[in-house]
Amino acid sequence: MGVNPIDIIREYLPFLASGTLFTIGFSLAGIVFGTILGLLVCFGKMLNNKVLSAPFVCYITFFRGTPLFVQILLIHFGVVPAIFGQSNGIISGIVALSLNEAAYIAEVFRAGIQSIDEGQTEAARSLGMNRLQAMRYVVLPQAVHRVLPPMGNEFISLIKDSSLLAAIAAPELTYWAQAMGAQYAITWTPYLAISFIYLILTLTMSFLVNRLERRMATK
Amino acid sequence: MIKKLSVLSLLLTLVLIFTACSSGSGSGSSAKKETSKKVLRVVNDATYPPFESLDKGKMVGFDVDIMKALGKVSGYKYKLVNVGWDPVFAELKSKTADMSISAISITADRAKTYDFSKPYFLSTNKILVSKDSSIKSAADLKGKTVAVQTGTTGQAAVEKIVGKNNPKVKKFKTISLAIMEMQNKGAVAVVADNTVIEQYARNNPGKNLKVVEDKDAFEPEFYGIMYPKDSKLKPVFDKAINKLYSDGTYEKIYKKWFKVAPDLDTLKAQQ
Amino acid sequence: MMIKVENLKKSFGENEVLKKINLEVEKQEVVVVIGPSGSGKSTLLRCINLLETITSGHVFIEGTDIADKTANINKIRQDVGMVFQQFNLFPHMTVLDNIMLAPTKVKKVPKEQAKAKAMELLGKVGLAEKADAYPDSLSGGQKQRIAIARALAMEPKMMLFDEPTSALDPEMVGEVLDVMKQLAKDGMTMVVVTHEMGFAREVGDRVIFMDGGYIVEENEPNQLFAHPNEERTKAFLSKVL
Repeated sequence: MGVNPIDIIREYLPFLASGTLFTIGFSLAGIVFGTILGLLVCFGKMLNNKVLSAPFVCYITFFRGTPLFVQILLIHFGVVPAIFGQSNGIISGIVALSLNEAAYIAEVFRAGIQSIDEGQTEAARSLGMNRLQAMRYVVLPQAVHRVLPPMGNEFISLIKDSSLLAAIAAPELTYWAQAMGAQYAITWTPYLAISFIYLILTLTMSFLVNRLERRMATK
Repeated sequence: MIKKLSVLSLLLTLVLIFTACSSGSGSGSSAKKETSKKVLRVVNDATYPPFESLDKGKMVGFDVDIMKALGKVSGYKYKLVNVGWDPVFAELKSKTADMSISAISITADRAKTYDFSKPYFLSTNKILVSKDSSIKSAADLKGKTVAVQTGTTGQAAVEKIVGKNNPKVKKFKTISLAIMEMQNKGAVAVVADNTVIEQYARNNPGKNLKVVEDKDAFEPEFYGIMYPKDSKLKPVFDKAINKLYSDGTYEKIYKKWFKVAPDLDTLKAQQ
Repeated sequence: MMIKVENLKKSFGENEVLKKINLEVEKQEVVVVIGPSGSGKSTLLRCINLLETITSGHVFIEGTDIADKTANINKIRQDVGMVFQQFNLFPHMTVLDNIMLAPTKVKKVPKEQAKAKAMELLGKVGLAEKADAYPDSLSGGQKQRIAIARALAMEPKMMLFDEPTSALDPEMVGEVLDVMKQLAKDGMTMVVVTHEMGFAREVGDRVIFMDGGYIVEENEPNQLFAHPNEERTKAFLSKVL
């Protein structure tokens, strides 16, 4: 009955391969930009001045409180065309994932920093370090160690969340699975196939995070 | 406060479970009376006006009216459920749904896995472009970025010209996303069923769109009701479709949605 | 004059914990602050290097008013070493790095020079062999001695001790007090908040008794312990001596 699933997968193999590369690319971009931006947003939110910290609080509230799917559409059909004059799935994908990831990373970092005993900062400041030095040499190194596991979780979520980019025809894994499923009017073959690939990607990610954790623990 | 919240969430959960159960079992009382004919589960993807879409939560469209008329003629009770495009196929394959009427083109690929009714609709793919576009035929689409709805014959028609899975063909889950991509200049044209894009252009005169026809490049297509393989319902509804053609019901519904008379001869010739 | 506290008030919200404190500490003087818990003695100490903001009044360190917004507090703190009840060693660094961090990062002392100084201080507190250990592997007494060495590495002109032995097991109190005694003997200016009356009597040049946010009485140790003037001082001493 129907077409042999193996033949279909064989036919779509090059597309799944390039889709996998795009998924890895989107995820890496989201992780790198999201972490950098997240750290900045985190410091912004922790500013003592309520007026200055308000925009950062709003940022986190919006990106954590609304569906990523909607954010992707808003950025693709609203923000990116307004800036570049035309929509572009790849730019939109990177921007949407980075902005969304940053909100989560900011909260992870904030929790990590606040979990470090106040006495650590006081000891650093009493030795003459300024706020920045105390943060950089004393608080952050300890916080990074502590936030590594929750960061790993965020990264894994991000890999899976990148599948939502199929909606704006960004040519990642899920996009090709949809194309494949639609062409042959099948469901299981494409989605199980990409699930397997996502599983490999997320397993690789947790392996890397685990290794990093262990290396930091022994250090 | 927390106590109140937990009571509320418990209530919400119960409501959800209740609605899930009740929609699953259909309207219980009528099912008991009609022991000989069960309530059919008819699935669709209600994101495709004017065939099927949600109007303030109510499902409306050409297919919806056709199904109503078919139900009346055949005597079957049915429940029309919006499940989305991919699940339509999944449900029919696993036989959790009895049939689907969802502007589905009859293709040889699909016919390998599913059964189709006699055609009940004639459609041609057309090209939607902005008014100042230089595109005059399907051949002009070569080398251009074109937006389509994933898995539609529109996609197939474009890929026939520019090559299968050409990266310049952007595939979207819904036709409205594809049109939005074009309006944001992420694509220069949308290729889809004439009825859909003609209605869109008609309903959005402010957006400066025009519809380009290319009869030589895009072959006519026929929509059919789709069933699981070897469905016993096929002969019943085939007969009902012919009844709608002969008693004028079909023409009435067609005119209601498309403002013109149907090409009944071509449709019948296809049987 | 090393430290001068003038009409210092400190409130946490509605709660006023320091009520008009006046205090002067001379160069090389060892001032011991005693009093029941909640009397404000730790808060006073923390106000002296601005770990707590000052509600009103002034604190002068070598003549500079640290409550003044234009004062460079980071620079002033380099001269005011502080030792905490909970040690507050940096757990992610070795003992040596704990001691070298501030001199190299704040004072930009060359690494080799900072290391030599750190080893010298470790020898002074009797823990030279722990240079490469991490804080978690040390006993409480060892941790506090490292914390003292860490503060001394900045070559401060005065040292503040905030109940340095309160978190220690009794058998470790002595080793920390010995280091502090030696420091006093070397001429360090010190303000010590403690419950160790023996230390106050032996090392203190002056003892200050605080209660309810006020300095109730101050005197040289023998006078204060033998002949307290105030009823509240008598009541407190009768409980702790």
